[in-house]
Amino acid sequence: MKNAKVFLIAFFLLTFQVVFAQKSSILLKISPTFAGNSFNLTNQAFETKDTTGLRIDVLKFYISNLRFYQNSKIVLEEKNRFHLIDAAHQKSMEIAIESTQKIDFNAIKFDIGIDSATNVSGALGGDLDPTKGMYWTWQSGYINFKIEGTSNLCTSRNHEFQYHLGGYMQPNYALQTVSLPVKNTETVVLNFDIKAFLQQVNLAKTSHIMSPSIQAVSLAKVVAHSFTVIEN
Amino acid sequence: MKQKLAIFLGFCFILVSFRSANDALFKIPQNFPKPVYDFTKNPLTENKVQLGRALFYDPLLSRDNTISCASCHSQFSAFTHVDHALSHGIDDKIGFRNSPALMNLAWQQTFMRDGSINHLDMQALAPISNAVEMDENITNVVSKLQSSVLYKNLFQKAFGDTVITGEHTLKAISQFMLTLVSSNSKYDSVMRKQAVFSSQENKGYVLFKKNCGSCHTEPLFTNDAFKNNGLTTDTSLMDFGRYSVTRKAADSLAFKVPTLRNIEFSYPYMHDGRFKNLNQVLKHYTHGIEHSKTLAKELRKPIQLSSNEKVDLIAFLLTLTDKSFLFNPNFFYPKEIFSGKAKD
Repeated sequence: MKNAKVFLIAFFLLTFQVVFAQKSSILLKISPTFAGNSFNLTNQAFETKDTTGLRIDVLKFYISNLRFYQNSKIVLEEKNRFHLIDAAHQKSMEIAIESTQKIDFNAIKFDIGIDSATNVSGALGGDLDPTKGMYWTWQSGYINFKIEGTSNLCTSRNHEFQYHLGGYMQPNYALQTVSLPVKNTETVVLNFDIKAFLQQVNLAKTSHIMSPSIQAVSLAKVVAHSFTVIEN
Repeated sequence: MKQKLAIFLGFCFILVSFRSANDALFKIPQNFPKPVYDFTKNPLTENKVQLGRALFYDPLLSRDNTISCASCHSQFSAFTHVDHALSHGIDDKIGFRNSPALMNLAWQQTFMRDGSINHLDMQALAPISNAVEMDENITNVVSKLQSSVLYKNLFQKAFGDTVITGEHTLKAISQFMLTLVSSNSKYDSVMRKQAVFSSQENKGYVLFKKNCGSCHTEPLFTNDAFKNNGLTTDTSLMDFGRYSVTRKAADSLAFKVPTLRNIEFSYPYMHDGRFKNLNQVLKHYTHGIEHSKTLAKELRKPIQLSSNEKVDLIAFLLTLTDKSFLFNPNFFYPKEIFSGKAKD
């Protein structure tokens, strides 16, 4: 009987919490850009008109473990949540983060890719389902970041380049953490600057990275540095 | 009060029935250690195991619907590719390695001769995608399954959902593979004191413990480690084993120590199937070891066996044959599931 009372009180408190707490939601929008112009791959590839003849066919990557900070103190985090961002799917480019209360924040952190522990956890669903094309088959492990296209700078067949960056074991652990100061707004727009990324990549020298390696890790670092926040 | 008691008893009943259902599908054999596989993330059920069994035997998994898992893993040879040094897959293309025997997979940490696969659930992706095995991809497999009435029903029964996912497909295949437990050989009966070795088998067992048991550790007859066992490199394959995964010089030419259970039927032997019989294998260990930097420390001192001792050792190895595994009807081609297929 005593147990029942405790249960009832707990239930009441919980209900109170749910009804009266100030729920809020933050929208994180991911926007691939080239020299300041945003684009998506929903219906067609992205092409530049300059002499490099750059074309982007595929841009997919994971954003995981989103954390919001206020003066270096964590105020909101998504534990074990993995978002597959696919420039060809507009819906995947927006992440809504629910909070049980209104929060103030001035910085965000997130990981590009999938952590080691998740990489050895067997078959997973949702955005981590291997049918999403972000899992290596000949050797276990998630692809954290995938970009494919062509450029006249490439000396490869058909001027193609393909970077599949991943690796969950040291010394080739490719997961990268991005930290950015942000304004306390309901919508945060995150910009991934393809031009900045490609400027750091020697397309003429390396057109294909398809497995975990030191080179993949250093390119993953370039990816992490190519994120900025667009100020409204 | 009565109501509470009823709820309590009901709860107990659910617990008990859940346990016994699980036990029927997978039971840790006496003397076996705790499995590596985390069953809490993929609890076995009869319907999921049966779905996995159907998938294991279904050539739908390959690009042109000709090759199933069972093509290279037949039960009567302990689920390896009998008589083929290198396995052949789609369009009769020849593979890179000898297909491993499949048994006691719940105790394995990594998979493949080089350990490139880190979890049983992810294993099937490799042969499905390999260009000389099934040459398909999991996304296509799922869409083929989704358009099959048979599989829609099987997935509904197993996962309570007609929407088929890669996760569920892989987990179901794992479920069937987890049930492939071999633990009823003569060796096991002797260990359980239900039988005795002949004097020859017993001599062989002593020799085994002295010369082989440090890597082929009992009761699984593998320590699941990677070792260079002194094979001369086949220059037509240039297979460096574990090195291709870790890129560490120390792992060069190291391959997964295979289980010796059912070895009588899992010939040919070694990662490239170079030895056709057990005599050749023993001859390698006594006279064929190639010394190199990465040679297993267990093999640095020569193994000496007289020809009589080799006969004794082989007599012991034959006690690892488990007929109740090799001919277990639960692992057969699931005729009863596929017979309904014509109605699709």
